[in-house]
Amino acid sequence: MSGFYYAGVDLGSTTAKVVIVGDGIVARVLGPTGAEHRRTANRTMAEALSQVGLCLEDMAYIVATGYGRINVPFADRQITEISCHGRGVVHFFPDASGVIDIGGQDSKGIKLAQGRVVDFVMNDKCAAGTGRFLEVIAEALGLTVEEIGPLSLGAGRAVRISNVCTVFAEQEVVGRLADGVPVPDILAGLHEAIAGRVSAMFARLKMRGRLVVTGGGALNVGLLKALKDKMGQEIVTTPLAQFAGAVGAAMLAKDLDEQAQKQGRPLKRGQRKLEAVTFFSETGRV
Amino acid sequence: MFIAGIDIGSVTIKAVLTEGEDLKVFSITASGGDYRQAAEAALSDVLAKAGLERGDLSLVAVTGHDAAGQTGWQRVSEITAQGLALARLFPEVRTVIDIGGQATRVAKLNLGGAVTDFAVSEKCASGSGRFLQIMSRVLEVPLADMGPLSLRAKTPVRFGTGCAVFAESEAITRITEGHSREDILAGVHLAIAIKVHSLLQRIQPEGACGLTGGGALDVGLVKRIEETCGFKALVPPEPRITAAWGAALAAMRRGQ
Repeated sequence: MSGFYYAGVDLGSTTAKVVIVGDGIVARVLGPTGAEHRRTANRTMAEALSQVGLCLEDMAYIVATGYGRINVPFADRQITEISCHGRGVVHFFPDASGVIDIGGQDSKGIKLAQGRVVDFVMNDKCAAGTGRFLEVIAEALGLTVEEIGPLSLGAGRAVRISNVCTVFAEQEVVGRLADGVPVPDILAGLHEAIAGRVSAMFARLKMRGRLVVTGGGALNVGLLKALKDKMGQEIVTTPLAQFAGAVGAAMLAKDLDEQAQKQGRPLKRGQRKLEAVTFFSETGRV
Repeated sequence: MFIAGIDIGSVTIKAVLTEGEDLKVFSITASGGDYRQAAEAALSDVLAKAGLERGDLSLVAVTGHDAAGQTGWQRVSEITAQGLALARLFPEVRTVIDIGGQATRVAKLNLGGAVTDFAVSEKCASGSGRFLQIMSRVLEVPLADMGPLSLRAKTPVRFGTGCAVFAESEAITRITEGHSREDILAGVHLAIAIKVHSLLQRIQPEGACGLTGGGALDVGLVKRIEETCGFKALVPPEPRITAAWGAALAAMRRGQ
């Protein structure tokens, strides 16, 4: 191991993740993004650093990604979510053919070949096929998003939801409930519907082989099952799925730095500014 | 001859009674959970209003949701029905826009009011009256007030999304940012108008344009559609019932 440390910051619309890699992943933090992105970035980074007893200057290179990546003032570089997600997944599953990332407000399909991103599709226009679909309908059923996955596994027979649109599907579900259809059956139908939508969105990528699910959707066992059934291929995830972007960012930082060192052209660091509030001792380690 | 025309919508059933082609009475009732039952009730209601009985009817025509195939009722498509009704009202009409509760339809008509081309948007809530209902709830403005309020907008809010679900969240954010309801409503109308405009492009609209369906009751929406699409719309006096009336017209003309 080189003995260098690299940090990846994934500032999403809902959650912020920071990962530090040295000899493997040495620190990881997840917290709510909230309204103030810069403050969140600083705070989350500080927390990660304190997990390993390091300071910002110890980071050889820092990459930021995610929706709020421009609001990470101490980052040396910003890289897109697609690249970082892909790289992060490859870290966990070197032979992955693709990524299905189901976030709160968007979903992405990322095709991988030989550990590289070769194509992708993103939907952030339509709530169907995103976590929002499940959230809206869970609420209509008086359930939380955390409950619906496990509950759906108890279905006798999944009910078919014919409407793609979240609004119309919600209506249909309420009707089904009124008809007396058991809630687990409705939930199974719901997960099938979102799996169908996701599968259709990413069909043109032609991702064969092992697919890795990331984002909030990865935490939903009902969704994972529905995806397996719908797509007929290996669907896997990791408990660290939510960190895929941050891990990828840190690994890309490492890749870039190692490549630069090999070429004898060291990377230029950013200003490493910490705006608003300073969490670090300016003289040395925290 | 007396003819009944029934338009089964997801929220309301519209029923009309015609004598020949002339509209006599109409009624608008709730659809409830059972369309078949609601359609029967709507028929009884409109007959009672006209002082007639089932036996007095020569024909019953139905459009909208299929009322479990009532025997003897003639099925007419919504597009056909709207085309005939609008052409009857406005002989110069060549393009029709129908903004319903769950779907928006556009059609091109020939001289006789027959449909020569059409396009439908029924998969996505944001292009239909449903979007208005969602926003009515979020902004706490009764549907009937949304039009007049939006006409008073100073600067319509530009929604960053075309999705009704995301727009709902965006509207809430705009409210907390201090935007007026007038401006947000105008933004909603603008978003729908943009959807209507792009749907229209699929049929290459020409000539005078009629605008009907429940959405046409919203003066703010009508204005934004006119501005976005670049024409002055011809709006029926009672846009909610044109499909039911058109269904009756279709049935009558088929019989001849």
